[in-house]
Amino acid sequence: MNITTGVLRNLCIGSAMLLAMGAVHAAEPKHGGTLTYSYNPEPTALSTIATTAVPVALASTKIFESLLEYAGPSLEPRPGLAESWTVAKDHLTYTFKLRHNVKWHDGKLFTSADVKFSIEKIVTPLHSRGKVLFGNVSTIETPDPYTVVFKLAQPVPFFLKAFQPTEAPMFPKHAFEGVNVEDGKAVRGSPFMQKPIGTGPFRLKEWKKGEYLILERNPDYWKKGKPYLDQIVMRVIPDAAARSIALENGEIDLAPMSAIAAADIQRLGSLKNIVVNTQGNEGLGPNLWLEVNLRDKPLSDLLVRQAISYALNREKIVEVIWFGQGKPAVGPLVSGNPYFNKAIKPYEFNPARANELLDQAGYPRGANGVRFKLQQNVLPYGESWTRMAEYIKQDLSKVGIEVETQSLDLGGWLKKIYTDWDFGITSTFSHNYSDPSIGVQRTFVSTSIQKGSTFTNSMGYVNPKVDELFAQALIETDQAKRRKEFDDVQVILHGELPVIFLMEMAYTHLWNKRVHGLITNGISMYSNWDSVWVE
Amino acid sequence: MTGLFSFLKRFAGNRAALLGAAVLSVILLAAILGPMLYAVDPFDMVGRPFQLPFGKYPLGTDVAGRDLLAGILRGARVSLMIATVATAGAMFCGLLVGAVSGYYGGAVDNVLMAVTDFFLTIPSFVLAVVVVAIFQPTITTVTAAIAVVSWPSVARLVRSEVIAQRDRDYVQACRALGMSNAEIMFLQILPNALPPVVVVASLMIATAILTESGLSFLGLADPNVVSWGYMIGVARSALRTAWWMTAIPGVAILITVLAINLVGEGLNDALNPRMRKR
Amino acid sequence: MKSASLGFVVRRLAQMVPVLLAIASLNFFLVHLAPGDAAEIIAGQSGHATPEFIAGLRHDFGLDRPLLQQFFIYVGRLLRFDLGYSAVQQVPVISLILDRLPATLLLMLTAITLSIVLGVVLGVASARMRGTWVDHAISVGALAFYAVPAFWLGLMLIVLFSIVLGVLPSGGMSEIGKAGTGLEHALDVLRHLILPAITMALFYLALYTRVMRTSMLEVLSLEYIIAARAKGLPESAIAWRHAVPNAILPIVTLAGLQFGHLLGGSILIETVFGWPGLGRLVFDALLQRDMSLLLGILFVSSVVVVLANLAVDLLYGFLDPRIVHK
Repeated sequence: MNITTGVLRNLCIGSAMLLAMGAVHAAEPKHGGTLTYSYNPEPTALSTIATTAVPVALASTKIFESLLEYAGPSLEPRPGLAESWTVAKDHLTYTFKLRHNVKWHDGKLFTSADVKFSIEKIVTPLHSRGKVLFGNVSTIETPDPYTVVFKLAQPVPFFLKAFQPTEAPMFPKHAFEGVNVEDGKAVRGSPFMQKPIGTGPFRLKEWKKGEYLILERNPDYWKKGKPYLDQIVMRVIPDAAARSIALENGEIDLAPMSAIAAADIQRLGSLKNIVVNTQGNEGLGPNLWLEVNLRDKPLSDLLVRQAISYALNREKIVEVIWFGQGKPAVGPLVSGNPYFNKAIKPYEFNPARANELLDQAGYPRGANGVRFKLQQNVLPYGESWTRMAEYIKQDLSKVGIEVETQSLDLGGWLKKIYTDWDFGITSTFSHNYSDPSIGVQRTFVSTSIQKGSTFTNSMGYVNPKVDELFAQALIETDQAKRRKEFDDVQVILHGELPVIFLMEMAYTHLWNKRVHGLITNGISMYSNWDSVWVE
Repeated sequence: MTGLFSFLKRFAGNRAALLGAAVLSVILLAAILGPMLYAVDPFDMVGRPFQLPFGKYPLGTDVAGRDLLAGILRGARVSLMIATVATAGAMFCGLLVGAVSGYYGGAVDNVLMAVTDFFLTIPSFVLAVVVVAIFQPTITTVTAAIAVVSWPSVARLVRSEVIAQRDRDYVQACRALGMSNAEIMFLQILPNALPPVVVVASLMIATAILTESGLSFLGLADPNVVSWGYMIGVARSALRTAWWMTAIPGVAILITVLAINLVGEGLNDALNPRMRKR
Repeated sequence: MKSASLGFVVRRLAQMVPVLLAIASLNFFLVHLAPGDAAEIIAGQSGHATPEFIAGLRHDFGLDRPLLQQFFIYVGRLLRFDLGYSAVQQVPVISLILDRLPATLLLMLTAITLSIVLGVVLGVASARMRGTWVDHAISVGALAFYAVPAFWLGLMLIVLFSIVLGVLPSGGMSEIGKAGTGLEHALDVLRHLILPAITMALFYLALYTRVMRTSMLEVLSLEYIIAARAKGLPESAIAWRHAVPNAILPIVTLAGLQFGHLLGGSILIETVFGWPGLGRLVFDALLQRDMSLLLGILFVSSVVVVLANLAVDLLYGFLDPRIVHK
């Protein structure tokens, strides 16, 4: 019995991998049908301008497209709304040739004026990463309706990775007539945000808040014969157990981005109609760690941080707390990142060493066996995070560190960690994204020690060498040099432990076997699903 | 003394109430002695997750491989403590507000009842959720929130009992004897108004256990201590993988609340002789 | 009688205004004790965000104004029956609430009706067959359901009816994309309503059964019932026509008082069953620090509770003609 399910499971994973590589398709793609997915919470908006939270990114990327599409785990740029592009030798001018006859969902033509409008008026000022990605754009020229020229003030080595549908969605200029686009409030509150118009393979059909969202096939989509699906439905199922049940009995086809509780994945994976997959997230690269407040003793002491790092069992965290949905982390970059430094080794689980280090640091055990007390906060993103906090509390107590856990909701947590800096250690995670300059730099450079700025350098970590290396890599166009800079940064951060590296997370997607073609690249769930089909 | 004796006799005559009292005593004993006799830390990962009951661990293990029996025993203590302290708090506020309001009447009554109405008008569980979320879930805030949403009904009840008593002859007599208002209120009137309040208190402990479990279910629980509600919260996402993980603390709550209710009913019958022949 | 009632209603409604305003004010300061705001949440959910970005959001949402100024804006709006604008969802609060209110009312009213009707029937049956096994069975059942956490019961019912038996949907309010004709749609919603309504009703059913039994026993021992028996009226007529109308009064009072309780419990039930009602919305609004939405829901639920209490008072007068609203 066990053997059979095991084999079946391996078969599932095997076939999913084959699909992922695009080598073999189980059958010919078929037109028609509906894909129903569920993710909690439900989206609060349908554009990543409002927020790039997961539920919004999931839904909006089917409606809105950007200039490029991306292939493979490392996100190789491919033609999208732009048919072709050229990069000048000095890496300061990017010229995009736009595809002709692309229509907005309202039937109007997509032109270079829309591109200029979207990047200048909407994405750069209003998107949460707009300034990071497009802050160096000095002018956008539109010599004709199908040519767009970006002039940069200084080189941006990751510029071609910026045109992802979540990061740089295209908006129809004509839909904002009558809206004062200089006023962020007017843009966010404009009727467009409730009735979005994009160029994507799907368009909004019906949005019943609290119940469902229906996207329907765009019959005029610029890729002939695509998309395959007639409809994509997002169903609101707030309870995790109820989501599992809905997937199990076929009420939903897909639970993306770890929408199913880790504890239930193994059981669902053993069912013969369910596929479990952890691929297609390479372009996000979520990395879980403990942020450490370096401002006060004893955590400002490197020996103490090393002791904590040795006192925690990463294998146990991965296997027991997250049910194998991840792997032990080594440093600030996940192992799937193209710039990952293979030379550094993870901290092993060694409580004896931890005890030694704590003695050495001058924190002997008191009469009750306690060396010192520590306040722990928990990222309020679900049960596994709480389980992990419970585990950390237990194992740190074994080396004499008494941990008091505080459980706050997201609002309270963000304020405490990023505005008040009032914490000892806190679990959190960070996306590497497609490039370390976008995803990793923000946590470790001293310029991002800014009160009120979320998911940045909450630790108060300052190392001029790290600042310098990141600053060089930010504008370095020589690949070999850039790699060396990132290698060095990883060695320093691994040694100094401004955060305790714990686990490379895996976003787990579960889907019904009738669904095909979901895994296409490193941002599969944030892709437009134009080649997804159902049996 | 004879009053107490006849009360006990009436209570003992109610088989259901006796059963409830017996069960409750066992639960209380387990809560007090259990964690000492079965000294396993409920947060320690002792083995493989999802182990069935009656194996290596008497009630099996939970989602992170922790001993469920240890959780149930430790949780009994926490759940009962939260419920009891919250009820005591609610009783204290309710008695004070209700007695003062009923005794003095007039403007005092109007103001106090307006405040009471405020709390009665906001759905109580919603208020509890808001309060716990705002002040972050700790064992103290959870207890306080339950007390905050529970006292208004006590105040209302006490007020009506006090109003019914305050114009009786014996109160007039006390006044004539020169007793102070506080003395009359708390030493003379309240003891007479107490029986229905005692019944409500016992039922309120039961409700408080349910409320605590509801808050935990929504993730509003102190992560440093195990309560039964907390255990259901931990187990619920694995409902299909390990239903017993949800069922065991659920049944513990059910039995405890049932026992408390039976005792409460017994108290009611014994304290309200009018109804005792039912 | 009629004009007296009308006057009573008008007076009660007039009394409501200052009470509701006081409630709204207290709510306002209570919810603003919460750490963090919508701008931080949006920035947080977006991953990395700069202080300028957050400041921009705050300005757009009017969160950068002093709290007192925000308060006066809020009260001013309220007096114009305007609940404001949801920062997170960028739509008027009232439209979000009106979207969800019907679902919650449907669930609540179904649960109340179920629990009262069945509670009265079972309570009467239990009282009339006092001491028999039927009475014991009903009493034990009522005690048990009174002691079960509702969300737990809901989860167990889902396991039984939608997994093991596979006869009812596990959640939601309707089959998506199957927008049939009026009747078809109604039947579809009904199918989805069964489990959450039963889950919600069982606790109150237990309560009402017990109260009805006690109240019925009390009434059955009153002199007018004994007189009716002496006249030789059939037992069932005595019970239903003479005793029940009096015995039911405590249930009516309770039902009115429990309305707020029910609304609170809907947070749990709606979470378990994915029911698109106000309970779930209030919890989401709280977590997203969508304060105008949270305040809006708290306000509307207070209005609903006050109206329910008023309705009970009127119903009371109708059921018990001795009470005259002066």
